[in-house]
Amino acid sequence: MPTEPSAERGPWSLALHRFLRNRLAVAFLGLFILIIVFVLAAPLWADHVAETGPNQEHTVEQITVDGEKKDVVSIEGKPIGPQWFAAGGKFFLGADSRLGRDEMVRLMYGGRTSLLIGISAALIATALAIVLGLLAGYFGGWVDSLIARALDVIWSLPVFLIGLAIGIALAVGGLKIGPLELSSGSLWNPILIISIFTVPYIARPIRGEVLSLSRKEFVEAAIAQGASPGRVMFTEILPNLASTVIVFFTLMIANSMLFEAGLSFLGAGVQPPNSSWGTMITVGVELLRIQPLLAILPGLMIMLTVLSLNIVGDALRDALDPRGKARLDAALQFEAQAGATRPVGEVSLS
Amino acid sequence: MKKLGAVIAVLVLATIGLASCGGGDDTSGGSQKGGTLNGTYASFPDYLDPALSYTAEGWTAMADVYVPLLTYKHANGEEGSEVIPGLAKELPKISNGGKTYTLTLRPGLKYSDGTPVKASDFPFAVERMIELNSGGSPFYIAAIEGAEKFAETKQGPIPGIEADDKTGEIVINLEKPRGTFTNELGLMFVAPLPQDTPIEDLSADPPPGTGPYVITKSQPGKGWEYERNPYWAKVNGKAMPDLPEGVVDSAKMTVIRNPETQVDDIEQGTYDWMQNPPPASRYAEVKEEFEGTQFRVEPTISTYYFWMNMNHAPFDDVKVRQAVNYAVDAKALERIYAGQIAATQQILPPGMPGYEKFELYPHDMDKAEELMKEAKPSDMDITVWTDTESPNNEAGEYFNEVLKELGFNTTLKQINADNYFTVIGNQSTPDLDAGWSDWFQDYPHPNDFFQPLLSGESILPTNNGNFAELDDPAVNKKITELGEDQLGPEQEAAYKELDKEIMELAPWAPYGTRTLSTFVADTIDLESVIFNPTFGHYLSSFEFK
Repeated sequence: MPTEPSAERGPWSLALHRFLRNRLAVAFLGLFILIIVFVLAAPLWADHVAETGPNQEHTVEQITVDGEKKDVVSIEGKPIGPQWFAAGGKFFLGADSRLGRDEMVRLMYGGRTSLLIGISAALIATALAIVLGLLAGYFGGWVDSLIARALDVIWSLPVFLIGLAIGIALAVGGLKIGPLELSSGSLWNPILIISIFTVPYIARPIRGEVLSLSRKEFVEAAIAQGASPGRVMFTEILPNLASTVIVFFTLMIANSMLFEAGLSFLGAGVQPPNSSWGTMITVGVELLRIQPLLAILPGLMIMLTVLSLNIVGDALRDALDPRGKARLDAALQFEAQAGATRPVGEVSLS
Repeated sequence: MKKLGAVIAVLVLATIGLASCGGGDDTSGGSQKGGTLNGTYASFPDYLDPALSYTAEGWTAMADVYVPLLTYKHANGEEGSEVIPGLAKELPKISNGGKTYTLTLRPGLKYSDGTPVKASDFPFAVERMIELNSGGSPFYIAAIEGAEKFAETKQGPIPGIEADDKTGEIVINLEKPRGTFTNELGLMFVAPLPQDTPIEDLSADPPPGTGPYVITKSQPGKGWEYERNPYWAKVNGKAMPDLPEGVVDSAKMTVIRNPETQVDDIEQGTYDWMQNPPPASRYAEVKEEFEGTQFRVEPTISTYYFWMNMNHAPFDDVKVRQAVNYAVDAKALERIYAGQIAATQQILPPGMPGYEKFELYPHDMDKAEELMKEAKPSDMDITVWTDTESPNNEAGEYFNEVLKELGFNTTLKQINADNYFTVIGNQSTPDLDAGWSDWFQDYPHPNDFFQPLLSGESILPTNNGNFAELDDPAVNKKITELGEDQLGPEQEAAYKELDKEIMELAPWAPYGTRTLSTFVADTIDLESVIFNPTFGHYLSSFEFK
């Protein structure tokens, strides 16, 4: 007679077991890992295969393809197309523009930038959201009202348009507030814009769940034993939010990457000559007719990364807390009754 | 069948009837009079105010709206560089050893709002332009008696201009003779305006003008519209028979920032004309397919260059600037501009009197690095400026990379093309270290490439054109002295020397002279379109086939 798994395994082992049973999620996790390996290998490819940097220009240079000399950029300004391995891996995907930069190298480095921004923005947004959600949900009253209204304000803003306006302003003038100084080309500009505007999407459901958890017996027991609010929040409630936070974090990486791609495409995110997948689409669009791959490839990379993160995020939710969806729905309903005005739209849990 | 025949007959008659009721349009010589020209610009002009605009886009947009006392012949190429009388009856009488210019206003002229044009509108326009700190003001501040004091105090009138509203006579007394002043009277900066015109940027509500068209609506950033000036047919056109009345009845200009879309729109006939050339990525294709029918290459007298601010480190050291000149490879820029630029390394472009080809800094990276080692600049952190319009943005990225190769820590700033020159021309903008720029002739005189761009007198707090901030007393003196004489072989030789002398100081790294183009829909008669070397495309020259 088979042994009941739950009798022998801990909760994390059980979650892993459930996750591994989801074949689609495992496949997409593999894909995401491949993407990570691909972008991490950028310096290796750049130094040992392409022998060029991501911003290095080769406008007037020639390469030898199958023993024949070819212009990287023709006199009419047409960049060379994909050479695959015909030039020893140089210009594997061709040149990116009339500046003659190696498209493959830029795609790899651009991916590092996009993922760095996505992960950093998601980390900051999640950390802020946890603190705000815990404070609002645990203390309630005016603290809750204040935080909830502040989140409402951010939520009510046309996020992308404001992000665009701030992004353009920072891209021109940088930012200097007291000791905080950001240069106009700093990656921190898009990271901060994205993280600030995405906080409500995590803070609101966390607040709802904290409201629900703070009425549980184990919390009341801790309070009765004289635990301080900080201790209750961070040692009793926070561990119970782990599954929600992990799920939201993966989804927020995907969301942040899309946000960054949009900002960069419109010139308000990553600034030239640095590349991200968003800026590469902008450059590629101009040459769409003659070199369509230049716009398609970074677009495809964004799509695959976001898709894999969404599928893995969903699978993690199912694995970490099979009853979580029902509980989270209940929490959202509770939170909505407590004064929410808008459902979680952009970050879907279903 | 009988019914079908009747229907066809009715349709044919209706068609003939409609055609004959076509709004009074004339059809002669295969072209149509009337209609609305739908044009497109890649960016909104810097200003739609004649006193302020100092870009090719702005001048093209206003050339048929604001007529100065003198103007340029409505013709292509060299013929279009000829100065002809505008609102003035004839070319100025120059007396007092070249220091007094006398002109007489044509009688009976009216602005598009019906206000009569008076001689005193000219000094008003000059004072308004100076009060607005226009980029064109150095021409007149340096020239007209008392204008410098007016620029400081903003208290008028300028004593050097006498205007008699009764006789229409305008007498301009100059501080010293000025060989370029006839040309400068033909610039839009000093086109007369009604004296109740506000002293502020009127780009959103352009003031009335005297040309065949009037701007009836302006939405900065988006577009603007023209109608015929009602007083052109009644009065002004009869008084100025050398200026064409225009063929289309109205025009609408739309800003479309993606030049790819502009090309598609012209090909599909959604728009009739694009002011800017096709993007580099489409240039070869458009040229091959449409040259001679819808497309024409237009040579220009222009210089494209990278400027380096000599006012502070690291570009206060001539060796650093020379190193940059050696490092910039004009051949790379020819490719970036997809063959729309011809390499040159000097200030004066081919076609300008005084031009003689020389190459002080042939591309040599080793030489550049050697000079950098000798210079050992203390400040290696610089900001590089360029605009967002392709391929200028790529030229800026190229320059940024060249500076990196020389060891600088660079920050690239790309500014929207609508505001680029306003931003880099404002001296309060921080970190104006180096960047991209271009210059198209204002008039066919070599002084136009020196006085506004490289004379210390032209360094202004706003609308500055001397981005390198070159303020060398010897150079200033030479520019001023040469500007006093009428152009002749001796002066041309002196300008040739001046070109070399300044390039030895290397305030710029010039890289080419540009060809522009005319690209129209197949409904437009390409032959009729005039591309003037000063004002670009004349709206009045467009006609439908």
